[in-house]
Amino acid sequence: MEPVRYDDRQEIVSLRLQPAVSGKRRNLKKYLYAVLLLLPLLLFIIGFFVIPMLYILYLSFIDTEGPGGTNATYSISNYGRFFTDPYYLHSLWLTIKVSLYTVIVSLLLGYPVALTMAKCSPRVRGLLTLLVASPLLISIVVRNFGWYLLLLPNGTVNQLLIGLGITESPLKLLFSEAGVVIGLSNAYLPFMILSIATSLYNIDPSLEKAAAILGASPFRSFISITLPLSLPGIVSGMVLVFSMSMSAYVTPALMGGANVPVLPVVAYDQIINLLRWTYGSAVSYVLLGITLAIVTIFTRMMEKGRYREVFR
Amino acid sequence: MKISGKIRVAVAAISLVYILIPLLVTIPASFTSAIYPSFPPKGFSLQWYMKLLERPEFVEAFWNSVKFAFLAAFFSVLLGTLGALAIAKYDIPGKSYLVSLLTAPLTVPQLVLGVALLIYFTPLLLAGTPTGFLIAHIVICVPYVIRFVLTGLSGFDYTLERAAAILGASPVTVFWRVTLPLIRPAILSGALFSFLTSFDNVTVSLFMVSPDMRTLPLEIFSNMQDAYSPIVASVSSVVILISVILILILEKIHGVGRLLGSAH
Repeated sequence: MEPVRYDDRQEIVSLRLQPAVSGKRRNLKKYLYAVLLLLPLLLFIIGFFVIPMLYILYLSFIDTEGPGGTNATYSISNYGRFFTDPYYLHSLWLTIKVSLYTVIVSLLLGYPVALTMAKCSPRVRGLLTLLVASPLLISIVVRNFGWYLLLLPNGTVNQLLIGLGITESPLKLLFSEAGVVIGLSNAYLPFMILSIATSLYNIDPSLEKAAAILGASPFRSFISITLPLSLPGIVSGMVLVFSMSMSAYVTPALMGGANVPVLPVVAYDQIINLLRWTYGSAVSYVLLGITLAIVTIFTRMMEKGRYREVFR
Repeated sequence: MKISGKIRVAVAAISLVYILIPLLVTIPASFTSAIYPSFPPKGFSLQWYMKLLERPEFVEAFWNSVKFAFLAAFFSVLLGTLGALAIAKYDIPGKSYLVSLLTAPLTVPQLVLGVALLIYFTPLLLAGTPTGFLIAHIVICVPYVIRFVLTGLSGFDYTLERAAAILGASPVTVFWRVTLPLIRPAILSGALFSFLTSFDNVTVSLFMVSPDMRTLPLEIFSNMQDAYSPIVASVSSVVILISVILILILEKIHGVGRLLGSAH
């Protein structure tokens, strides 16, 4: 006799023991519960997320200076201004550059940690995961402050560099692109590590054994097996770190200041200090659009590239 | 161990130090006896903790942080848990789209969210009010609660609810005695995670703040930009201490790594 499948069992129970209410009425009542439970959340998200986002999209197409302008007209002039003004274009380029450096630093520092997490015992793995992940739950200003102390002209890092004879006079690490990249990579490195580690955990260990039996050196088996199979984790980590770096405000403001005017700093200035809301809205959507475009193109390229099989 | 393995472990150790060092230098720096912050600290004193208590704005910011984090966590758990229960339990058409919509605030940069809410709140007279501040924090916290509770419910055996109902329990009893205890870890994680997210937040708060309503991270932010004093180190150490306690509780309940995995 075939074992009773889960669905059949449920069917039997419902046949025998459900109260005699017609199916239609029961469904209606179910929907009522669902709607009642869901409605507050749905209204909240629509009211305080969807509508505000659409509202600033609408504002970004309005041509007026300052809030409450009376003779508002629809145009794409805000976007036109952005893409013709060298200051904003430079800021966009700076944002992309800083984000790319952050991605590269995070990848180089993150991969060995992820690999170690994949190879060690479950106990050590748990400890490493805790150490890597918990800084994400501590305020970014606190982590920035720690680096600020280290990167001061007479701070620990500069004293170390001078002591090792790498530089003679203190390097300008604060209020520079280097400071921003250090701050950002410090903040987002855990995302890179966790993302790569997840894909490394999924690799079948027998593949590496097979490679070793066939005579491959550990290096060869890493290059031909582990690295390609971890590509999905690498790509999603890079995408995560890149998009977060593109839109980071606090770290560039504290570690770069006026010397590193990345797009989020410029947008904040437009909205808070200059009260140019329509233009600030447009800058926000440019930031969103450019980030999405770069991330999409990069992901597509990787998924259609040499190792397209591993993304399926 | 092969040389390649040694190099890997060495780089991994450097990376770990890189991640943790800003936290490790801040706490000693707060005990300095000098009038400017430095690492390693000069001498030892508790004066910057004493000064912290003498500055009413920091004490007030601390209570504001705790109050708003608590309220944000409470309302996020309330809205998020009920919503996630409905999504998990009932056949709602377009379920996956609905979940994407409800967790979308996580995918939008906080800067853009802050801009949008400030501009939207101004005509509604919510900009710079405690209500506006709280709403903004719920928007960034509630998606986490939804994800955690949905994950917690993914292995949920609904025959348990049926069994309770068959045995004569009312729907309210079924919820309190069967459903809730089974998803309690997910709800608790959601609450603690929301508390920390709100307690730590700077970017969205910067757009929602008014001069008479500040939080600890905002005090650190503005003090770092204006005047430099070791008092920033002592405030930061207080924030680290509170966060670490909550993180350890989270680790006990659910595992911080697993939690972040399901959050992003």
